Amino acid sequence: MSEIVGKSYPPVKIGIEEAHVRAFAEAIGADPDAGVPPTYAAVYALFATAVQLYGDPEAAVDFAHLLHSEQEFTWEHHPEVGDQVIATGTVEEDVDRRNLRFLTYATAVTSDGSPLCGSRMVNVIRG
Amino acid sequence: MSQGELEPFTWRVTREQIAAYAEASGDHNPIHLDDHAARAAGLPGVIAHGMLGMAQLANFVVAYAGDHRRLRKLRCRFSGMVLPGDVITFSGRVAEASGNLVRLELEAQNQKGERVLTKALAELTA
Repeated sequence: MSEIVGKSYPPVKIGIEEAHVRAFAEAIGADPDAGVPPTYAAVYALFATAVQLYGDPEAAVDFAHLLHSEQEFTWEHHPEVGDQVIATGTVEEDVDRRNLRFLTYATAVTSDGSPLCGSRMVNVIRG
Repeated sequence: MSQGELEPFTWRVTREQIAAYAEASGDHNPIHLDDHAARAAGLPGVIAHGMLGMAQLANFVVAYAGDHRRLRKLRCRFSGMVLPGDVITFSGRVAEASGNLVRLELEAQNQKGERVLTKALAELTA
């Protein structure tokens, strides 16, 4: 499995759209007038690129036995409504320990060519 | 509440909010929406998305920070399942405030005292 470490997927372009951001803010109980909630990064960083990993036969992710174990986001700055961002996912680590597969996936997000946000997700997949 | 501690924050977990989060985030994994699918995956029933819990962690930190744009880092481990009907209490303290950075140590427990988010931290610009 470890041959996928270092593999990157094609960059994904995402528009930060007002209606979607407001719906997300309302769903999580944040103030919809306060701009883009920090964990909207789940949309523009994490899920935008995780689908590429989960859909990759070479990565062979057993989605039915997958748990999201750890998550980290870092921000150089936060996006604003109307921004366009580009997210690129890379497999960072893929190790087996005690019949569990630990798969770490990093996503780098840029805006106008400058770093905006980083996401690091650890998935645990039961064997 | 001693000096340096954040005002605790309570989150009441409902099926309606989990469904709304699935819709808004695009994460339609059936373990969050369908009890049968959740049980087939070895869970007691539907569970909240880890990211919905992390969103509440962010709400907690933003309530302290005043403006989410101060947030530079947010991290947690999803240590326990969060179920509809649970009441989650978030607590935190200022661990370090130096230069241009404030570091918060955070955690979340359910109504039974079980920790559902661990290794949680946030960094804010001062």
